[in-house]
Amino acid sequence: MRLAIAALALAAGACPVLAQDTQSETRTEKFAELPYWPGYWVSEYQAGTTIGGIAPSILEARENGTPLTNFMSLNGGQAPWNEEGRRRVAKVREIAKGRKAAGWGFPMMMNAATPLQFLITPEEVLIVNSYNEVRHVYTDGRPMPDMVDLWPTVTGTSIGHWEGDTLVIETVMVKTPSDYFHGAPPLSEDAHYVERIHLDGDRLVSDVTIDDPTTLSETWHTTVSWIRDEGFDRMVQIDWDNDRTGYDGDFNTIEPPDEGK
Amino acid sequence: MIIRPAWALALVLVCVAPPAQAHHSMAMFDQQHEMTVSGTVREFQWSNPHAYIQVVSKDDQGKDVEWSMEMGSPMYLYARGWRPSSLKPGSKVNVTIYPLRNGHPGGVVLGVTDANGQTIGKKL
Repeated sequence: MRLAIAALALAAGACPVLAQDTQSETRTEKFAELPYWPGYWVSEYQAGTTIGGIAPSILEARENGTPLTNFMSLNGGQAPWNEEGRRRVAKVREIAKGRKAAGWGFPMMMNAATPLQFLITPEEVLIVNSYNEVRHVYTDGRPMPDMVDLWPTVTGTSIGHWEGDTLVIETVMVKTPSDYFHGAPPLSEDAHYVERIHLDGDRLVSDVTIDDPTTLSETWHTTVSWIRDEGFDRMVQIDWDNDRTGYDGDFNTIEPPDEGK
Repeated sequence: MIIRPAWALALVLVCVAPPAQAHHSMAMFDQQHEMTVSGTVREFQWSNPHAYIQVVSKDDQGKDVEWSMEMGSPMYLYARGWRPSSLKPGSKVNVTIYPLRNGHPGGVVLGVTDANGQTIGKKL
């Protein structure tokens, strides 16, 4: 009898440990099954950007006289704008002169002159750029939060799931992107974004579809791709502390230095 | 100050939307003309979204003129071998730029060499 009680006590004590081990092993197995996209990814058309911030792809297109239609494609240059969308595009251009910015925001951070890092875990994928902009993409099976729990933010709210090696991200409640950054599309806060990201050789490719009845006449399809550019060996977070873009009445210009900086 | 011959680059519209190259349009710079400004670094601003080199150079009348030379963001500069210590006040430099279209003393940087003609930026 005493032996039986001792055995039961031992089993009861061991159970939490066993449960924890099993949970840990399950998570480890889940981790091992996930894709691994290490490195610092820059938009393919921005690769090799010079010290002056000029992308070689732009210069090549000029020299060859060929159009470069996919450069920063998320800015909406090829989007199927409806009347309201075209009105907003015109308005953004009208007020863009000398306008300063505080960052890229979503969706432009996925298409901008900044490296991205994709940190993949079983529970969420973190997409990080070097300007303090982070997207939390929850892949733990949770649904999109109720609308009452959401409000518009610069990076929106995202959930995701894996279809094989493809990360599928659904994003809603993004603040009108052009309100945050003047080179972004003037989509409404009702826009619904879906990204399908997968590794294609040494490139990451994202097929993007955006629906926004307020500003688009039909679903907007575009593609963004990234490669690992040279020279990046760590992510450094930098705030936008010195935007000297100004406007002299005719042209954008560089404002004099702020001697306080 | 030395002004090099103009580049004969074909002007091609490459983007339908505002051609945001860095965080703003490059239309503010005259990309058909390349010039080199030689002078002394007053300040090197290692800042975001652009770094800037403030260079004091003599104009045609021998008067000091301060130029504002725009560069890319620190992450790209870092990737290309530049560091905050790459330029110090008092350094003699030659900065090749596309100048501002409005004629103000400034431009976007294409390359920088020191007084000996050596390219600045750590070789990767």
